[in-house]
Amino acid sequence: MAYYAIKGGEDAIRNSLHFYKDKIENSNNLEEEKIINSLGFAIDKILSEGSLYSKKLASQAIKRSAGDLLNAAFFLRAHRSSCQRIGICKPLDVNNMKIKRRISSSFKDIEGGQILGASNDYEIKLLIEQESLEYNYENYSDKTNIIKSALTPLREDGLVKVLKEEEEPWDITRSFPLAPYPRSALMQMMSRGESGSMLGFAYTSMRGYGDVHPTIGDLRVGSLDINFTHPFSNKEVKIGEIEATSVECVGTFNKDEDDEVKLTTGFGFCFGENETKAISMSILDLTLYNNTYSVGTENIIASDFEMIMQHIDGIESFGFANHYKLPHYVTFQTDFQIFKSAKKYAQEEKE
Amino acid sequence: MRYAFLDEEAKKEIRRSILKAIAIPGYIVSFASREMPVARGWGTGGLQVTLAIINESDTLKVIDQGCDGSVNAVNIRNFIHSVTNVKTTTSTKEASIIQTRHRVPEIELKEGQTLVYQVPMPDILETVEPNTAKAKLMHANANYSKLWVLLYEDTSMFGDSRISNRYPVLVNNRYAMDPSPIPKYDTLKLNNCKALQLFGAGREKKIYAIPPYTKVEPLKFEDKEFKVESFQGHFCNRCGSKNSFLDEVYLDDGRVKYFCNDTDYCDMNLQGKL
Repeated sequence: MAYYAIKGGEDAIRNSLHFYKDKIENSNNLEEEKIINSLGFAIDKILSEGSLYSKKLASQAIKRSAGDLLNAAFFLRAHRSSCQRIGICKPLDVNNMKIKRRISSSFKDIEGGQILGASNDYEIKLLIEQESLEYNYENYSDKTNIIKSALTPLREDGLVKVLKEEEEPWDITRSFPLAPYPRSALMQMMSRGESGSMLGFAYTSMRGYGDVHPTIGDLRVGSLDINFTHPFSNKEVKIGEIEATSVECVGTFNKDEDDEVKLTTGFGFCFGENETKAISMSILDLTLYNNTYSVGTENIIASDFEMIMQHIDGIESFGFANHYKLPHYVTFQTDFQIFKSAKKYAQEEKE
Repeated sequence: MRYAFLDEEAKKEIRRSILKAIAIPGYIVSFASREMPVARGWGTGGLQVTLAIINESDTLKVIDQGCDGSVNAVNIRNFIHSVTNVKTTTSTKEASIIQTRHRVPEIELKEGQTLVYQVPMPDILETVEPNTAKAKLMHANANYSKLWVLLYEDTSMFGDSRISNRYPVLVNNRYAMDPSPIPKYDTLKLNNCKALQLFGAGREKKIYAIPPYTKVEPLKFEDKEFKVESFQGHFCNRCGSKNSFLDEVYLDDGRVKYFCNDTDYCDMNLQGKL
């Protein structure tokens, strides 16, 4: 009888977990090292969305979720909550990135040159086997390859609108701000936002719901040193390196606070190699803070701070969507009673 | 694993938010809200509140839609037990902390008990004003006119408010509050309750509270009766109760039978222990 079926939760969960364990048995047998080396983009996506930089834990998470990457990022976030914070590293400057790839679509010729690096942007996407191409290239070392952003000359000439700097950046993992949200909080939210959600919102502003048509001023992928003040010696020490993607995009021009006409830019940054996400983030940043040129529509979803701040987190949105699988029989029963009495009232009014 | 899962800084922050919430009944306090090993929307707010206040001397009860045996309740209870080792119970009378999803227990709560609600939408104004900045201003001015207009429009068209659960309440004559999606049947139990009531919304990162013996009233027009769900003519087919919230259950042969939604109440009634 159904009533007792509801009470069988304990057994049901145990069995369900058991079946799931069988289902992911093959994934669990994969070697972590192999996942890290072979499914790099999957690792990078969940590092970024899980906001925890550990490739080893990320590969475990992928195994435990059999490739469901939203679930995998959720594993990382949950793990994060049990880690005590030791301290805060020195600010990172993306100009100091050891570059593996760096392109600019705003300029043909840039200082340091265009570095395509490893990319399949120009591959003809056919699943049939293609003959391998011959290649020759100059050797370069990413250890020393440090180039300033392609927008640096424009910035030095004072042509780029500069947003007001915050005294102390917000930390959304320690306190969640109320509206109006500081930019640092929004940037953090986006930096660990879900790639697909961000792409979706950014796409609305590129298409009919806004008019942000940016060019990529500087897109770079590479590694950054993490420096930390040693608690005992008080000296600055390097404690590791992270791979990251950063994007500066350029929008239209606009008047700044001093009434000067300046070029507007947006910034995107995230852990790992996530170019689509970083580009989307830079477009959202641009749309949020430089949204005065819209002609087509007043309904610019991506320039609404609430819309971005509250709706791009993968862990939150996927969790809430899935909670509909939980029992709702009490709430539904209340709905149903109200529905019946409203229907009756409307019927009587008609008569 | 750390005691009660959360790191100490997180616990401290949550406790401070709870204290502030208790000091201003019905007021929504923002907090950082850590990601839990349970998905957002599955009770992470209630879970964080419970984990921040729980200690070795507590006895824990977890219910989901009235039932201790429901999958989500089992899952949460097992998790809390695994990180705290506290005693768990299904008995409303024995529990010191009761974490609940969308029901208030039938058996009256007593002093010293804490009822922790899992909350999906913490701000009742969200129904009429999705912009949180504007909603905050409306709370500051105790400007609930949009809720009244909604109530008026519904009443004129359907004879009553269309809000069936999470019915708006006014706490301590000041803040309009979302009581979480409890049925209207439970709304009146919030008033002058002897237990401390804490509300945690994990995904929305908000905590609020109703201290013991606080006035809580549903938002309604003076000349309109506050109608709760009615099960007139029906009784629990297990314990025979005629005055509890009942679940409609469709049997395999298509017949409909009614059973107590609160399984602890049903058990107690059956054993004559009420």
